[in-house]
Amino acid sequence: MEFTFSEEQQMFRAMFRDFCGKEVASKAEELDHEEKPPLDAIRKAANQGFLGATLPEDYFGAELDYVSYALLIETLARDCMSTALTLATHVSLVAMSILDHGTDVQKEQWLPMMAAGEALGAFALTEPDAGSDAAHQGGAALRTRATPDGAEVSLDGTKTWVANGGIAGLFLVFAQGPEGVEAFLVPKDTPGLTVGYREPTLGLRSVTFNTLYLEGCRVPVANRLGAPGEGGAVGRRAQDRMAVALAAAGLGASEDAVDIAAQFATERVQFGVPIAKKQAIQSYMAEALTDVEALRYLVYHAAWLVDQGGDLSFDASVVKAFGARVAHSVTNRMLQVMGGYGYMEDYPMARKYRDARALGIIGGPTELHQVRVAQRIFADLDLEIAP
Amino acid sequence: MFINREEYLLQPADRCALEAALRIKDAARSQEMPDIEVVALPRTPLPDDDVLRQALCTGADRAVYLTGAGLQDADDAVMARVLAAAVGRLGGADLVLAGATTLDSGQGQLGLRLAEALGSPQIVGAWTVETADGCVQAVLKDGTGYVTVEADLPAVVTMLPGTLKLRYPDGVRLIDVYRAPDAVEHWDVSDLVDEEMLRSLLKERGRDFPPERERGVRVSGTSEEMAQALADALRQRVRA
Amino acid sequence: MDFTFSPEHVALRRMIREFAENEVAPLAAEIDREGRVPFETLKMLGEIGLLGVCFPQEYGGMGAGETGYCILMEELGRVCTSTATGVGAHIGIGAMAIHLDGNEQQKRKYLVPLARGEKIAAFVLTEADAGSDAAAIRTRAVREGDSWILDGTKTFNTNGSFAEIVTVMAVTDPTLGARGGITAFIVEADTPGFEVGTHENKMGIRGSSTAELIFDGVRVPHENVLGKVGEGFVSFMKTLDMGRLTLGAACLGGAQAALDWSIEWAKTRKQFGVDLAQKQSVQWKIADMATEVEALRSLVYRVAWMVDTGQPFSRLAAMCKMYGSEVASRAIDSALQIHGGLGYSRDFAIERAFRDARIAEIFEGTNEIQRIVIASNIFRERGVRIRP
Repeated sequence: MEFTFSEEQQMFRAMFRDFCGKEVASKAEELDHEEKPPLDAIRKAANQGFLGATLPEDYFGAELDYVSYALLIETLARDCMSTALTLATHVSLVAMSILDHGTDVQKEQWLPMMAAGEALGAFALTEPDAGSDAAHQGGAALRTRATPDGAEVSLDGTKTWVANGGIAGLFLVFAQGPEGVEAFLVPKDTPGLTVGYREPTLGLRSVTFNTLYLEGCRVPVANRLGAPGEGGAVGRRAQDRMAVALAAAGLGASEDAVDIAAQFATERVQFGVPIAKKQAIQSYMAEALTDVEALRYLVYHAAWLVDQGGDLSFDASVVKAFGARVAHSVTNRMLQVMGGYGYMEDYPMARKYRDARALGIIGGPTELHQVRVAQRIFADLDLEIAP
Repeated sequence: MFINREEYLLQPADRCALEAALRIKDAARSQEMPDIEVVALPRTPLPDDDVLRQALCTGADRAVYLTGAGLQDADDAVMARVLAAAVGRLGGADLVLAGATTLDSGQGQLGLRLAEALGSPQIVGAWTVETADGCVQAVLKDGTGYVTVEADLPAVVTMLPGTLKLRYPDGVRLIDVYRAPDAVEHWDVSDLVDEEMLRSLLKERGRDFPPERERGVRVSGTSEEMAQALADALRQRVRA
Repeated sequence: MDFTFSPEHVALRRMIREFAENEVAPLAAEIDREGRVPFETLKMLGEIGLLGVCFPQEYGGMGAGETGYCILMEELGRVCTSTATGVGAHIGIGAMAIHLDGNEQQKRKYLVPLARGEKIAAFVLTEADAGSDAAAIRTRAVREGDSWILDGTKTFNTNGSFAEIVTVMAVTDPTLGARGGITAFIVEADTPGFEVGTHENKMGIRGSSTAELIFDGVRVPHENVLGKVGEGFVSFMKTLDMGRLTLGAACLGGAQAALDWSIEWAKTRKQFGVDLAQKQSVQWKIADMATEVEALRSLVYRVAWMVDTGQPFSRLAAMCKMYGSEVASRAIDSALQIHGGLGYSRDFAIERAFRDARIAEIFEGTNEIQRIVIASNIFRERGVRIRP
C-alpha cells in the first residue's frame, strides 16, 4: 500500500490551489450573499480542463484519475463548497454517466461540449414523493413516466431539488418506463421541459436547486442512456461516484475550517493568553483534526476504488455518511472556537457551517447510507436487509 | 355571559361582547364621564369560575359565578330567567351585551329571551355598539349594506362573532386576579329564583339516529381508472 | 414536592401562548428576512405589562417572579428566537441590573418605565478584546466633579442601537482590575457622545439588533452609578447569572418547537408508502429529543423556583444555559435531519431555527465559560480556587 500522492497528483494539487486562490476564494462570500451561481469560476475552470476532469482526451477531457479529481473537489471546497458541488454535479453525476453508459454517438454528441463548458449537466432524479433513494429501490417510487411513442419517448412528471437546474444545458432525467427505470438525456431547450422554482436554501446558496416540469417532453429514443430498464443502475452508479465527491467536498471544507480556527486561536487573546493555550480549545482542535485525517484516507481510498471499477456501493455509503458527519461536527466545533466572530457572516465560518450541513441530506440522507452499510454487513452473513 | 363548557374558552361572539363592553367603559373614562361598571356573568352552567376570572383579567370590574344543583341542565330559556334575576340583584343594568350565537349549541336565544324577561328593547346581531345620552347605537348588517339602529337604555344587544378583537389581559391584573381566590363572586341560583323557574320548557323524549346511508358507488384504481368509473356511474344515474 | 404551577402562572402561560401565536409567530419569518427588530411587538408586550414580568408591582412590574419570566421566555422562544432575544436583553440583563443593584431613586426613575415597557433597556459589557474575559474591558470612566466621563467602544450589543436606557460597565480604576476597578453606570441613550456604530450581519437572530456602541466623552451624573464604585464586576456577574437561567428557558421553547414539528412531520410524511413515524431512526431521534426537553424543563423551572424562594442558584443557572443551548442545538439538528430537504429550505421555519439556535452556545457567556463557572463553583465549595 502506497500512502502518498504521486508526483503528478501533487503537481495537480498545487495547480488546483493556484486556481482556487485566483478564481474562487475571493468570490465565495459575495456569491453566497447574492445567491448567484459561480459562472465565472466555472468558465475559468473549463479553460483549465476541469469540466472534463475525468473524461478521456478524445473528448477533450483532462483524463484525470478519480483520486486527482477528488483532490480538485477537495481544493475547491476549501474555499467554496457551492463551486465544488456545481462542478461535481456536472462531472460525477452527468458527464461520467454518459462516459460509462453512453453509446459512441451520445458520447461524441455531448462530452466535448460538456468538457468545454458549453453545456453544464444537471441530475434530475428526486421527486416530491421520492427522495434520492428512488434509484436504489429499483425505481418503484418514481412517478415521472417515460411513454414510448414510435421513435420518441414522452416524459411527464415533476422533479425537485435538481442541482444545477438553473444553469444546465443538459438534464439527465430518470423516469419510469415500461421496462423499469430509464435515464434520458434532455437538452434544456426541448419543448415540454420547464425549469421552475429555485429553492432558497440554508447554505450552498450559489448552487441552483430547481424544480423541473416535464409536460409531454419528447426526446428521441436515442437519447436514452443505457439499455431499457437499466436506468436504475445508471442512477446508482452516478450517486456512488457523487458520494465520493461529496465526501471530498466535506473534507475540503473541514480542513479549511480547522485552519481558520487554528489561526484565530493563536491570535485571540483572552485571560492574558491566546486561547490556543487552553486545554479545551486544544481538545476541540485535536478531535477535529483527527476526524479530518480519518476522512482524508477514507475519501482517497474510495476515490481509488472508483478507478478500479467494480461495486462501489458499500464504500460510497461509508465515506458519504462519515464525510457528512465530520463536516458538520468540525464546522460546528470550529465555529464555537471562533465564538461570536464565528457567528458573523463577515467571516467565512458561518457560511461553511451552513454549507456543510447540506451533506447530511443531499446525495441521500445519512440514514439511507447507514442502511446500505448495514445491508453489506448482514449480506456477508446471508441476511437480506431492505431499507 | 360567556364560555364554552368543554374548553373553558370564551365563545367567539362573547369575546366581541366583552370587548364592546370594555370599549364603552374606556370611552366613558376618556370623555370624563362617570365610571361605568362592567359585570361578567356566565351564559351557561360552568364547572368552575376560570372563564369569569379571564373576563376580570381583561378588564371587567366584577364577575359573578352561578352555582347550584338546579342549574345543571339549564338551557337558554332557564338561563334567561336566572340571568334576569341576577341583573335584578345587581340593581339593574343599563346595557346587557351577549354573543348572538354560540359555537356548540348553535342557539341564539339567550339574548332574545333575556330581553323579554327584562322587558327591554333588544338589538340582535350587532357589529359595533356605542352608548350616548341614554341611548345605545348599534351597526347591523342588512343585506348588502349597514344599518344603524338606536334604542333607549336599558337595552339588550347581542353581538356577532368576528367583529371586535378582544384585548389581551393586563399582566398585573392577571397575576392579582389569579392570586385572589375570592376574585369572582359566587351566587347560588336558589337565592335568585324559585325551583319551578329552573324547569326547562322542553323535555327530551328520546334520541334517534338517522338511518344508515344507502351505499354509494365506490371507485378505485389509478386516477384515470377512477375518473372513468365515476363518469360511468354518473351517466348511469342520470339515465335512471 | 409539588410540581404544579400556581394558578396565576398557568393563566399567564395561556395568555402568553395566545399572544405568541397571534402576534409574534406571524412576524418571525419576515423579521428574519428583512433583518428588522419587531418594534410593534415590543410595544404590545409593554402595553400588557410583560416587559416587566418579573419585577415587583411597586416598580411597575407584574410581580410574576422568575418563574413568570421563564414562562415568557419559553413561550417566545417557541415561536421566534429573535423576539425572545430582544425581550431577554431588555428584561433579563438591562432592566435586571437596575432591579438588582439600583437604589430607590434609580428604580423609581429608570426601572419603572422599563418595567412598564415605556422604554427599552440594554446591558453593555462586551468589547473587542473582552468577550469571555469580561474583566478585560477597557472602556474608561473618569470622575469629573459630580459626573463621570465615559470613553470607549463596546461590541456585539443587543438592543443598544435603539434602547433608551443602557447599563454600561466601565473601568474606574485601571490598576485594580476585576476586584475594585470596574463600575456599572446607568446611561440615557440620548446623552451627547453616545453613538451607535456598525450593525453586525449575523447568521441568525436577524430580527434582533446587534451593534457596536461608541462612548465619546459621555457625561454621566454620579447619581447614575449603579451599586458602588468599583463593585461593577460583582454586579454584572449577578446580572449575568439571572440572564443565564432565562436563556435556558428560551432554549427550552426552541427545543419544544423542534420536537413538535418533528412529531407532526413524522405523522404525516410517508416514504415509499411507510409513515416516517414507523422508522426507528426517526423514533430514536424523537425519543431522545423528548427526553432532553423534559430534563431541561425540570431543570429550568426548578431553578426558577430556587430564585423565587431566595436560594443560591448561580451554578444551576449556568447549567441551564449550557444544557439548554446544547439541547436546543441537538433537537433542531435532529428536526432538520428528519425533515430532509425541506429542513434545508428557507421556505420552512426549521432552517431559521437552525441558524438562530446556534448563537445560544456562544452569547451570554460561551458554553466554555459556563463550564468554567460550574467547575469553579463546585471546587470552591471544596476550597479549591480555579483560575480561568
